[in-house]
Amino acid sequence: MASISLLNPKAEFARAAQALSINISAAKGLQDVMRTNLGPKGTVKMLVSGAGDIKITKDGNVLLHEMQIQHPTASMIARASTAQDDSTGDGTTTTVMLIGELLKQADIYLSEGLHPRIMAEGFEKARDKALEVLDKVKVPVEINKKNLVEIANTSLKTKVHPALADLLTEVCVDAVLTIANDKKPVDLHMVELMEMQHKTDTDTQLVRGLVMDHGARHPDMPKRLENVYILTANVSLEYEKAEVNSGFFYKTAEEREAFVRAEREFIDQRVKKVIELKRSVCDGTDKTFALINQKGIDPISLDALAKEGILALRRAKRRNMERLALACGGTAMNSFDDLQEEHLGYAGVVYEHVLGENKYTFVEDCKNPLSVTILIKGPNRHTITQIKDAIRDGLRAINNTIADKVLIPGAGAFEVRAYNELVAYKDTIKGKARLSVQAFADALLVIPKSLAVNSGYDAQDTIVKLTVEDRLHSDLVGLDLATGEPMKPVDMGVYDNYIVKKQILNSCSIIASNLLLVDEVMRAGMTSLKG
Amino acid sequence: MALRAYIREGLNVAAIMGAGDTIAQLFIEKKSLQQWDIGRTARFSALGLVLVGPALRKWYLTLEKLVSKDQPALRRGIKKMAIDQTVFAPTFTLAMSFAVPYVNGEDTDKIKNRIRSSYFSIMLKNYMLWPAAQFVNFTFVPLPYQFGTYANYVGAHFWNQQEAHFVYDGASKQMAEEQRPQNDVLYREGLNDYGQTTYTPRLLSVDLAGNLAHLPMGGELYGNFVQRNEELLPLTTGSDLQKLKQSAEANNLSTVDQLEVRAQPPAPISEYQRDLLQGAIAPDKNYQLADTTRSWADYLYARYHPRTLNVLPDLIRDSEVQALATQAAGKEIWDGEAFNEDFCNRIRQYAEECEGLQGFHMLFDIDDGFSGLASKCMEHLNDEYGRVSYVLPLHYPRIPSYNQADPRTAHSIRVVNSVMSYYHLSEQATMFTPLSTLETIWRNNTLQSRRLPGVAWREGNLYQTSAVLAAFVDTMTLSYRLPQTPQSLVRFCDSVCPVGRKLTAAAMALPFGLQQEQDLIDFLDQSGDHSLLTQLTPGCEAGNSYVMQSLMARGIPTSRLKRPQEQAGPQLRMAAYSCNSVSQMLQLYYQCSFHGSVTHAASTPLPLRTRLPFPYELFEANIATDGCQVAGGGEREPHSRVESAPVLAALQNSTKLGEHLDNLHAQTHRVQIGKLQSYSQSAVDREEYETALDKLLEFRDNYADSQHL
Repeated sequence: MASISLLNPKAEFARAAQALSINISAAKGLQDVMRTNLGPKGTVKMLVSGAGDIKITKDGNVLLHEMQIQHPTASMIARASTAQDDSTGDGTTTTVMLIGELLKQADIYLSEGLHPRIMAEGFEKARDKALEVLDKVKVPVEINKKNLVEIANTSLKTKVHPALADLLTEVCVDAVLTIANDKKPVDLHMVELMEMQHKTDTDTQLVRGLVMDHGARHPDMPKRLENVYILTANVSLEYEKAEVNSGFFYKTAEEREAFVRAEREFIDQRVKKVIELKRSVCDGTDKTFALINQKGIDPISLDALAKEGILALRRAKRRNMERLALACGGTAMNSFDDLQEEHLGYAGVVYEHVLGENKYTFVEDCKNPLSVTILIKGPNRHTITQIKDAIRDGLRAINNTIADKVLIPGAGAFEVRAYNELVAYKDTIKGKARLSVQAFADALLVIPKSLAVNSGYDAQDTIVKLTVEDRLHSDLVGLDLATGEPMKPVDMGVYDNYIVKKQILNSCSIIASNLLLVDEVMRAGMTSLKG
Repeated sequence: MALRAYIREGLNVAAIMGAGDTIAQLFIEKKSLQQWDIGRTARFSALGLVLVGPALRKWYLTLEKLVSKDQPALRRGIKKMAIDQTVFAPTFTLAMSFAVPYVNGEDTDKIKNRIRSSYFSIMLKNYMLWPAAQFVNFTFVPLPYQFGTYANYVGAHFWNQQEAHFVYDGASKQMAEEQRPQNDVLYREGLNDYGQTTYTPRLLSVDLAGNLAHLPMGGELYGNFVQRNEELLPLTTGSDLQKLKQSAEANNLSTVDQLEVRAQPPAPISEYQRDLLQGAIAPDKNYQLADTTRSWADYLYARYHPRTLNVLPDLIRDSEVQALATQAAGKEIWDGEAFNEDFCNRIRQYAEECEGLQGFHMLFDIDDGFSGLASKCMEHLNDEYGRVSYVLPLHYPRIPSYNQADPRTAHSIRVVNSVMSYYHLSEQATMFTPLSTLETIWRNNTLQSRRLPGVAWREGNLYQTSAVLAAFVDTMTLSYRLPQTPQSLVRFCDSVCPVGRKLTAAAMALPFGLQQEQDLIDFLDQSGDHSLLTQLTPGCEAGNSYVMQSLMARGIPTSRLKRPQEQAGPQLRMAAYSCNSVSQMLQLYYQCSFHGSVTHAASTPLPLRTRLPFPYELFEANIATDGCQVAGGGEREPHSRVESAPVLAALQNSTKLGEHLDNLHAQTHRVQIGKLQSYSQSAVDREEYETALDKLLEFRDNYADSQHL
C-alpha cells in the first residue's frame, strides 16, 4: 500500500509495474499515431475540428494537441518533441517514435526482471556510444548551393509533395544565401514570410526586398514609384490628443492661420522636415521618395505628404524596421532632427498590390539586400499555413547546416550503422547493462523500419538487407525508398542535420530513462494533500 | 418640433458667440466692465441665433442626406468633405466676413472693399488645411477588446445590441438620422473572398478553445472552414470537406498522393444559430436560451472578422473550473511567442486601418488568468499607441472554482487576481469600472445578488447576467457614439475622473421605471428620496454628495417629458417644467437631489432592444411591451414580450468609492500567498504582490475625503 493512501484515502495512485505499464502504453499509443507520418512516404494528416477548422500537418506536436490527448506521460513526450522543434526545427516525429520504441524494448527486459535503474544506466552508455558513432560518420561539407539544396530537399520532402518540395527548396536556399554573411550567424528573422490569400493562385516566390501587409491610406498617393529613396522612421506624425471638436470663427486670414498653426505646429514641423529632405534629394532628378513609419500618420500629415508625391506607410511592423534597414540600406530614424541623405535607403521600385480588403506594398530591386521576403500565395488559410510550416523547417535545416558545417547521411543510414556498432560494443560491457545496450540498439532500428513500412516494403527484409550491407562497407548505407534496396545516401544526396540527430539521441534517452524510473504515479489534489 | 431644434441650436451658438465676444472685450481688449460694449455682444449673439446656428444645423442635416449611406465610411467621409468645402465653405465664409463687420456698424462700402481684397486669401488658407481637419471629425474610433469567457458573454450581447439598431435599406424612417448611433465608430467595412461586402466589429477577443463551439476560428464570413453541418452547407461560406481535400492534394500539400483525413465529431450547433443561419428565426419562438446556452457562441447574432477570435494555446475549456486560474499564468501566456506575435500583429493591423484612433475599450474577466493577459495587453497598448483606454473588469456572477483548489485557496486566488489587476489598472488605464451583478464579491460565503426593480434573473446564469451588464456597457458608451453628443473617449473619461480617481462605479435602471402614460417630470417628482439607480459595481455605493457623474438616458421620448402648457396643470408649478429635454431635466433633478455634485447628462430616444437574442424573459409581468410599468399595478398580456426598454445608466465617482478598495484590502489579510506560490507552474511573485498591495493603498488615497473635487 502506498504511503499516500494512508494519509489520503482518496488519492489515486499506481505503483511499480502498473506505473510503468501506464507510461509504456501511452508512449506506444503515441508512437502508433505518429508512425505513419515518418519519412517522405509518410502520410500527411488533414485535421478537421468540431467547428470545421482545418489543419494539414505531419507535425507530431500539432497532432498531439489537436487530438486533445491529456495523458500525463503523453504530454511529457509531446513537450520533448516541442523542445526538439524549438531548438532544431526538425525531428519531432523521430523523437516520439524513438521514445516509444525505447520503452517498448525496455519493457521486454523489465518484464523478465531487469531493474529499471540498470536499464537507464545502460541507455546512458549506449547513448554515449551512439554519439561517438555520430561524430565518426559526419560528413564535413562546404557551404555551397548544391549542398544546401540537398539538405533542404531532404527535409522538405518529408513535409510536402516532391514537386512542391523542389520549388520550396530553391526558394529557401536562395533566401538564406542572400542574407548569409560570413562573419555573423544567420538571423532567420531577416527572412520575412508573407502570406497572400488568393482565390486561384498557388505559388511561392522569393522577393529580394520586403513585402508589407499594408499600403498607403491616402487616395492621392502614388501607387508605384521607381528609383525610390526610403526613409524608415519611428516618429509619430499623428495629432495625439484627438480633440478636434471645436469650430472657430475668424476675421482675417492671419488670425485663422495662427489658430491652426498653434494647434498643429508640433506635428507639421516633423512633416515639413521630411518634405524638405525629399525636396533636397529628389528635386531635379528622377528620384522619388517613400516614408515607412512605425508610428501613426494622421490624415492631415498624409495629405501634406501626398501633395509632395511621397508614398507614406504607417504602423509598420516593428521587425520590419530592422528588415528595411538591411534590405534597402539607411538607418531607422527615431527623430527627424538632423535628417541627412545618408540616413535614407534605396529601392529600385516600390509598388502597391490590392487583394480584396488587403493591401500589400512591395519594396523591390534593392542594391544589396540583406533581408528578403518569401511570398506565399494559396487559395485558403490551411494551404498557406502548411506551406509556411514547411518553409520554416527548410530554412532551419539550411541554417543548421551553415552553423554545423557537417551533415549526416540520411535515409536511416546512421541508425543502421549505430545499431551495428552498438551490437559490437555490447560485448565489451560487463553485467546486465549490456542487455539495455542491446535494447537501445534495437530501438534505433525503428527509424529505417518505419521508413520501409511507410513506403510499402517489408520491415524485416529491409533491416536484414541493410545491416548486412552496412557490415560489408565502410561507407554508410541507407534505404532507397523508390526501390526498397540499400543505397549510399551520400551519392544520392540524402542528408540529415547533425544537430538534429544529436538532439534526438540526447533527449530521447533522457526522457525514456525518466519514464522508466517512475515507480509511482499519483493523482491527488492540493485540497486533499494540504486540507 | 423642427423649428424648436433650430432655435435650440441657434441659442447654443448665440450663447457661445456672446460669451466669446465678452471674453474678447474683457480679457483680450482689456476693457473694464464699464467700457464693456454690451451692444456689440448682443449683436454677436443675435448673429449666432439667426444666422450661424440655423445655417450650420440645416447644412449638416442636408449634407447627411445628400450623401448616400450605402457606401464605405471612408468614401462617404471624403464625399461629405468635398461637398462641404466646395459649396458651404465659400458662401459661409463670405457671409460671415460681411455680417460680422456689419453688425459692428461698419460702413457697407468699406466692408465690400475689404472682402474684395482679402476674401481670396482667406479661402486659400481655408483650403490649405481645413479639409483634412474636417475629415478627422467624421471618423474617430476606439478599438474594443474582450479577454475571457464572461467578457465574451457580455461582448456577444453588446454586439447583438449594436446590430439590433442597424437599419437596412432605409426600412425604418421613424427615427431621425441624427439619433442613431454612429456604427462606423466600432465597425469596419471589408470585402471577403467571395466579393461580398462585410461589416464587422473592429474587435479582438480572446477565449479558450472549446468556447467557440460551432464557430470556426476565422469566423463564418470569410470562408476557410468546412461546414460540418451538411444541411447548412449551401447557405454559408463553409466548404465541402471532400472538395477541400481534393484541392489540397492538387496543391501538392501531401507528401504522398492521398491526405489522411481525421475529423472530430462536429460541434453541436444551437437551435437558435441553426435557425439564424437558415434565415428562419421565428421571433416568437421560445429558444430557451437561458437553459440551453453552453457558450456565448450559441446566441451570438453578430458575425466577426477573421482577425477577431483568438484562442489560448494549449488550454481547453472546462465547464467546471477556470482553466487559466492566476494572473501570473495569464502573463506567461502573453509573453509566450505562440500567442504574442500573432496577437500584437492583429492589434497593429486594426490600428493601421484607423484614421483617427482615439483609444481602447476593454472588457476582461478579473477573476481568472485572463486578467493577467489584459494587464499585459494594456501595457503593450500604452507603450505602442499611447491612447486613452476605458477598461471594464468583469466579475463572474458566481464564485468561480479553480483546478485543485479548496475554497480557501480559491479565495486567495481571486483576491490576488483582483489586487494585481487593480495595480495594473491604476497604472495603465485611463478609467476603469468594475462590473458585476453581485453585491459583494471577494468574501466567499455571502453571495448577495443585486436586484434591479422590474427584472429578475437567475443568479449565476451567465447568459442572463451578462445581458444585464451588456445593457449597461451599451447604454453608457452611447455617449461617445451618438452623433448629437459628439464626445470623444478622452472627454468621456475626463468628465468622471478627476485627478487620479480612475476607478468609477456603475449604476443602472433597467427598465427605467416610468409608468405607461406617465410623464418624466411627474416620475421624478414622485420618486422622492428613493434612488433611481441600482449599483452594478460590487461593494460600494456612490452616495449622494460630492459625486461626479455622467448619465445616459435612452428610450425616453421627448413627448413623455411633460405635458403641453394648456394641459400641464400642477406640472406648471414644478421647477423642472422649464426643461425642454430629457437630459436637461435629469441634470436639474440631480442638481437638486445631490449635494455639491457635477452631473453630465445626455439622452437619446433610442431604447434598448430586448428582442431575441436578448433574454426578454428577464422582465417581470408588470412591465409592458415598451418597457414601461403597466399603470395601476396591472400586468402585460400573457405571451407578449417586452420589445424594448428605456434605460438610465450612470458612471459615478465619489469619495465613497474608497470603500470598494477598502473591501478588497480587508480581504488580503486572509490571502495565503505561500500556498499560492506552489499552486501552479507559474507562481505568484511575492515581491510583485507586495508592491501591488502598496500601490493599492496609494491609489486608495485618491479617494480620501480631503481630496474632494
